[in-house]
Amino acid sequence: MVYLDHAATTPLLPEVIKAMHAAEKQFFANASALHTPGHLAKNQIEECRALLAEIINAKPEEIIFTSSASESNNTVIRTFEGHQIETSDLEHHSVFEASKIYKGKKTPKLYSYMLVNNEIGEIIKLPNKKDGFLHSDLTQALGKIPIDVKALNLDYATFSAHKIGGPVGVAALYVKKGAPFKPLIIGGNQENKRRGGTYNTVGIIGFKAALEYIKCEKTWQKYDQEVRKLRDNLAKRILKEIPGSSLNTDITRGKSLPNILNASFKAAEGESIQLYLDAEGIIVSTGSACASGDIKPSHVLLAKTGDAEIAHSSIRFSFGLSNTASDIDKVMTVLPGIIDRLQKISTIKL
Amino acid sequence: MNEGEDWVYSETVKDHFLHPRNFLMGDEKKFKCDAVGIVGNPICGDQMKMFIKVKNGKIEDLRWKTYGCASAIASTSALSELAKGKTLDDALKISAKDIDDFLGNLPRHKFHCSILGHDALKEAINNYRKNS
Repeated sequence: MVYLDHAATTPLLPEVIKAMHAAEKQFFANASALHTPGHLAKNQIEECRALLAEIINAKPEEIIFTSSASESNNTVIRTFEGHQIETSDLEHHSVFEASKIYKGKKTPKLYSYMLVNNEIGEIIKLPNKKDGFLHSDLTQALGKIPIDVKALNLDYATFSAHKIGGPVGVAALYVKKGAPFKPLIIGGNQENKRRGGTYNTVGIIGFKAALEYIKCEKTWQKYDQEVRKLRDNLAKRILKEIPGSSLNTDITRGKSLPNILNASFKAAEGESIQLYLDAEGIIVSTGSACASGDIKPSHVLLAKTGDAEIAHSSIRFSFGLSNTASDIDKVMTVLPGIIDRLQKISTIKL
Repeated sequence: MNEGEDWVYSETVKDHFLHPRNFLMGDEKKFKCDAVGIVGNPICGDQMKMFIKVKNGKIEDLRWKTYGCASAIASTSALSELAKGKTLDDALKISAKDIDDFLGNLPRHKFHCSILGHDALKEAINNYRKNS
């Protein structure tokens, strides 16, 4: 299998599997309990908190563990219920939809902009927050580019474990000391009453192992060098070898994450491309409406291109550190034929 | 992820998707037909075009083209098998449920895609009757 859907979920790192497996036996106790096993579990959580804080240049007490990036995003938006909320069409639905529901007229204003977009990988210039507060969804950025929440002038930031080789169901929210905060889940003393619910100790230990990996390996350097080479090579080959192809990702250095390539194939429908590739053991994702069970295609590609057909015909290839040059060869062995066939049976002319 | 028997659709859907029957590759002029029906819109993500050849009130042969998803491809492939040789009236009686049953149930949210071929066939038959 050639797995090119890392922006959706990364496979668990071997280090993570090992750490979580050991933790299931060792740190099963409720981390809020006062007994020794509980205390030992809590220590593991605090180690993870300190490590994430170190990686993003924050203080440990500024990190709150949550169950998902969507929860982290929702928590920030809900904190500003009734306030002005400025965001963009490129945001994840957990920001975009939540802000539509909760925004109002009060000040101070919340600005919520992701640093990198998850569908096309675009690196976005964060706005000047002026007198408001600034939140950024850094889910796709963590591990791929260096992150410094102070330098980015952020008040809130969202992170998730399953995009960096950690488990699904573990995420975090950075809340700058002194920034407004309203818990989304109430009724528990966990996280200094900022997020109720029994600690997911095993998951957080998995997150910690993934964070250790990105810190030790300086993964952002590997993405910038090795992964960028693979991504750019695939982009060049697609444009050269496949008629009707176009890139939705600007692969110029500094314009996009080095591991995401979004491309469209004229006259070929995205879900069909995805599933023909799937049948060949190549795993990608698409912005086509049909793949999501929605009637609308990717809101990001629509906003970016204003062209629904481009969105319906789009494929996202997202790389991880385990991908190799031979993966690109495998893709390019079958992709031109798949596109050619779909274009030949298409009602749309090339 | 979908691999082998874990394919997101049934084996029959997979077979019709990977090996679609009666589709028209390339130039439309290659297939001499008596009527054409076209439904859908690429902006909405799917479009289907049906070409029918009619003899003695029966669909002697048919071809189709699509800009559509896996369900649209598989269900139209199935429909083309079901409709071939039938009288126009009988072909019109083929229901979306017949296709769904033939394919072994498509996911519910895919129902819209599965009736595209059906609508295109209806359109082609209507056009045939209008012109003959």
